[in-house]
Amino acid sequence: MATRSMSPVAAGVWIAVLVAVVVASNEEGDALMALRHSVKDPDGVLASWDPSLVNPCTWLHVTCNDDNHVDRIELANMRLSGPLPPELGKLEQLQYMEMSANSLQGPIPSEFGKLKNLVSMDLYNNDLSGPLPTTLGNLKSLKVFRIDHNRLTGPIPRELSGLPDLATVDFSSNDFCGTIPTSGPFQNIPLTSFSNNPRLTQGPGGYDANC
Amino acid sequence: MGIKQSCSFTPCVLADLSLLFCILLAPVCLATPATSPAALLQVKSGLTDPEGVLSGWSLEADVCSWHGITCLPGEVGIVTGLNLSGYGLSGMIPPAISGLISIESIDLSSNSLTGPIPPELGVLENLRTLLLFSNSLTGTIPSELGLLKNLKVLRIGDNRLHGEVPPHLGNCSELVTLGLAYCQLNGTIPPELGRLKQLQKLALDNNTLTGGIPEQLAGCVSLRFLSVADNMLQGNIPSFIGSFSDLQSLNLANNQFSGEIPAEIGSLSSLTYLNLLGNSLTGAIPAELNRLGQLQVLDLSMNNISGKVSISAAQLKNLKYLVLTGNLLDGAIPEDLCADDSSSLLENLFLAGNNLEGGIEALLSCAALQSIDVSNNSFTGVIPPGIDRLPGLVNLVLHNNSFTGGLQPQIGNLSNLEILSLFHNGLTGGIPQEIGRLQKLKLLFLYENQMSGTIPDELTNCTSLEEVDFFGNHFHGPIPERIGNLKNLAVLQLRQNDLSGPVPASLGECRSLQVLALADNRLTGALPETFGQLAELSVVTLYNNSLEGPLPESLFQLKNLTVINFSHNRFAGSLVPLLGSTSLAVLALTDNSFSGVIPAVVARSRNMVRLQLGGNRLTGAIPAELGNLTRLSMLDLSLNNLSGDIPAELSNCVELTHLKLDGNNLTGTVPAWLGSLRSLGELDLSWNALTGGIPLELGNCSGLLKLSLSDNHLTGSIPPEIGRLTSLNVLNLNKNSLTGAIPPALQQCNKLYELRLSENSLEGPIPPELGQLSELQVILDLSRNRLSGEIPASLGSLVKLERLNVSSNRLDGQIPSSLLQLTSLHRLNLSDNLLSGAVPAGLSSFPAASFVGNELCGAPLLPCGPRSPAGRLSGTEVVVIVAGIALVSAVVCVALLYTMLRVWSNWRAVSVSNSDGEESAHGGHGGGGGKWGDGKYWKVGSPVSWSAEQKHSSGSETASVLLHDKSTEAARAGKR
Repeated sequence: MATRSMSPVAAGVWIAVLVAVVVASNEEGDALMALRHSVKDPDGVLASWDPSLVNPCTWLHVTCNDDNHVDRIELANMRLSGPLPPELGKLEQLQYMEMSANSLQGPIPSEFGKLKNLVSMDLYNNDLSGPLPTTLGNLKSLKVFRIDHNRLTGPIPRELSGLPDLATVDFSSNDFCGTIPTSGPFQNIPLTSFSNNPRLTQGPGGYDANC
Repeated sequence: MGIKQSCSFTPCVLADLSLLFCILLAPVCLATPATSPAALLQVKSGLTDPEGVLSGWSLEADVCSWHGITCLPGEVGIVTGLNLSGYGLSGMIPPAISGLISIESIDLSSNSLTGPIPPELGVLENLRTLLLFSNSLTGTIPSELGLLKNLKVLRIGDNRLHGEVPPHLGNCSELVTLGLAYCQLNGTIPPELGRLKQLQKLALDNNTLTGGIPEQLAGCVSLRFLSVADNMLQGNIPSFIGSFSDLQSLNLANNQFSGEIPAEIGSLSSLTYLNLLGNSLTGAIPAELNRLGQLQVLDLSMNNISGKVSISAAQLKNLKYLVLTGNLLDGAIPEDLCADDSSSLLENLFLAGNNLEGGIEALLSCAALQSIDVSNNSFTGVIPPGIDRLPGLVNLVLHNNSFTGGLQPQIGNLSNLEILSLFHNGLTGGIPQEIGRLQKLKLLFLYENQMSGTIPDELTNCTSLEEVDFFGNHFHGPIPERIGNLKNLAVLQLRQNDLSGPVPASLGECRSLQVLALADNRLTGALPETFGQLAELSVVTLYNNSLEGPLPESLFQLKNLTVINFSHNRFAGSLVPLLGSTSLAVLALTDNSFSGVIPAVVARSRNMVRLQLGGNRLTGAIPAELGNLTRLSMLDLSLNNLSGDIPAELSNCVELTHLKLDGNNLTGTVPAWLGSLRSLGELDLSWNALTGGIPLELGNCSGLLKLSLSDNHLTGSIPPEIGRLTSLNVLNLNKNSLTGAIPPALQQCNKLYELRLSENSLEGPIPPELGQLSELQVILDLSRNRLSGEIPASLGSLVKLERLNVSSNRLDGQIPSSLLQLTSLHRLNLSDNLLSGAVPAGLSSFPAASFVGNELCGAPLLPCGPRSPAGRLSGTEVVVIVAGIALVSAVVCVALLYTMLRVWSNWRAVSVSNSDGEESAHGGHGGGGGKWGDGKYWKVGSPVSWSAEQKHSSGSETASVLLHDKSTEAARAGKR
């Protein structure tokens, strides 16, 4: 019956302080927890992700290297939906991002350009949208880059031409525009990897006004 | 007072003026004041009275002397008041209460009454006050209450009432106070309430009311207090609220109100309390709010309010609380937030969780500040040295910003400070020793900064400290020796610094300590005996240090331990001192030197979730009692010297997600009951001495991600049921004695990124279906088996594959050109098979070692010459190294010379050849064999002679050529 006291205010301070104590432990675990909080997980495949653990190395679908840094996220075909959190860009030693065949939405965060060790980024068969961040041109270790069957838009960043090892690529069935890059690794990538992008054109071309 | 109702049911009680009215207007009513006691006794009979407060209620005493009864002064037996508040009464409110016709005030609040509010109350037309709040009443609010025309105060909240607010309450035109909060009322706010012109206080908060605030409510012109907080109300905040000229308190918190804050609220000149927290309000803070000169509390937190902090405490001269936490505010704190003349009354400022930037120097004008929370913003700059101009500061919360610089000595002047939370900034420098003057300091959070230096001894003067967290800085040197002065310390978190030296013995004096985290430092020495005094200790994490020696036996006295993590130290001796608690949820001791058996008492902690004892020197059998730990999700006993069977009792641990028993001397079979562990994600039994077959029941572990059974003595074939493990990422069956074919059903494991089947005796072809394992990436290793047939072209589909090893099998045919599609491949080993033909040009960048031991030609091997028709000539290998030719010639010469000297020499050469053939067979049976360049390379070359024997047509190949071949390779092998 009584008037609401100041308790919500006080509680606000205390919650902020105390939660931070419990959770503040390791950045990579936090980054993965950001993913867990960002996506809906109807099958509970992320249930083993316990932020109170020292590091995420015993979490299922996560693999660490010998230095206990996360090097693989294996979450293909897990019925996850929702956006990719930019925090994943903090997984500096990540080599394999395997998250194809889900219902991931929204853009590929530009922070993914910080994943300097990434060898494989498989995000095909999702519901991703927006442009490809140019920062992906920093992924100098990238070999496998498959983002087909999404709703990605905009041009294919020319920065990707500087990725020396890029070999397995699929950009098909999106809504990319402009021209297909031809230099660097793109010399050896078949055109079928770009199919079903109605606004994407072949050849040197000028700047596409529609892009 | 007015019209009589319901008097025909019961003889009415005559009371004060109603007696007259009753006589005048309702002749059937009898004037019998003596019925009051009777009605009251009926009320009593319906109640349970644990404190006996009603024991004096008897006809032997004057009713007006009964406990809780008030009578009309000067009259006999005319009951006007019933007050039984807070006596623990239970039972239902008897409908007989309606017999108290003269009653004006009923107070049954704060009891444990149940059942409904009797509708019969509606007959008590003299009732002015009805207080039933804080009981457990159920049912709906009877609409009959609307008949109580004289009712001024109705407070029935804090019950379990449901249903709608009856519109009939709008008929209680005298109502001054209406309290219906903390029930389960639903529906909308009835517009009829707008007829309550006298209503001053309306409390509907903490229900599940929906809809908006009806515009008719504008009729409640006398409102001083309005709370509809914690409902599900929506829509805009109506601007007519600005017309409630007497309104002092407005609480709309925790609803779904949207839109902007109406500027009209600025007209509420009497308003002292305004709470709009937890809605979906947008737009800017209306500047008109600065006109609320009486306002003491302003809470707009947890909305989507944007723009600048346009509040001026210089205008809001009475403002004590300003709460704007959790909005989208940006910009800087206004320079004129507080007047510079020390007149500000602002005590509490909460701006956390916005996008605010700049420094916080402006706050130094708010001389009365007691609490500052600007956490979770983008503030920069230093913590102002002049912060001690705010001597009243109790809470200083600046975490999750980008403050830089050091903590200045002036902080020591904030003698009232209790909370100092600075974590996750860019602070540098050391902790000033002046911190020791903060005698009231309870919480000190400096974690996740870049602070350095030693922890000053003076910190141990802060004897009020309860929680200290320095995680993730660069503090070095020892933990202060007098840390034991901090008798109130409950949490000590020093993880991830560069602290060295021992754990001080005085720490045992911190008797309140519940959480001790010293992990990730460089601490040395043994744990002090005094640890056994930390009776409250619940969580202790010391991992990643260099602590050593046996644990003090006194630790066994710690009965409240729930989490122990001592991993990666040099502790030795028995585990028993850690097992005094029966509440352990986590016991992680990985990578120490603990020895002895795993004590069965560990199983007393029935809530154990993680038991990690890997990498120690534990011996004996796995105790069957571990099967009692039915909540266990992780059991890691790997890399010890455990022996015996895997106990069947572990089948009770049905929640296991990780079972790691690898690297022991376990014997017996791989238990079939593993198939019943449906939560299993990782199963590692490798490096043991397990025998028997792979149980087909493993196929039931449908969530299994990693399965490793390598380095055992497993026999039989790979059950096709493994193909049911469709989630499997890693399958490692290396180094067993498995036979039979690779089951094509493995193709269903289409999430495999690592598949290792090497060093077995698998035979038959490589199933082309493996080409469907499109996620294979880390390795496909089928080496050192007896696989035959061609390399399936389908393997070219494994575009992510980085390593492919099919060496030391009996694969024949050509290398399929599809392997050129393996664009991720960086290690390839096809050596020591029966492959023939040309190496596809696209594979020429791999070293010769990838191909040797076959009948292949072309780069990186020697070119396919005219004398080397594809797939025929073993001579591809014969002349790999030009320099070898000379050596070969020399050997031939020696052999010829030998022939001349010894007449039986020819017979002896045949004998050597035969023995080579036998070694080849052994190698094929999976008896081991070296990698490229080791001393066993000879076996690798032997299939060459076998193939040559089968190809008689190659007449030019003589025994001496074969001998040359082996000599050459022997020479090469010797160089490696």
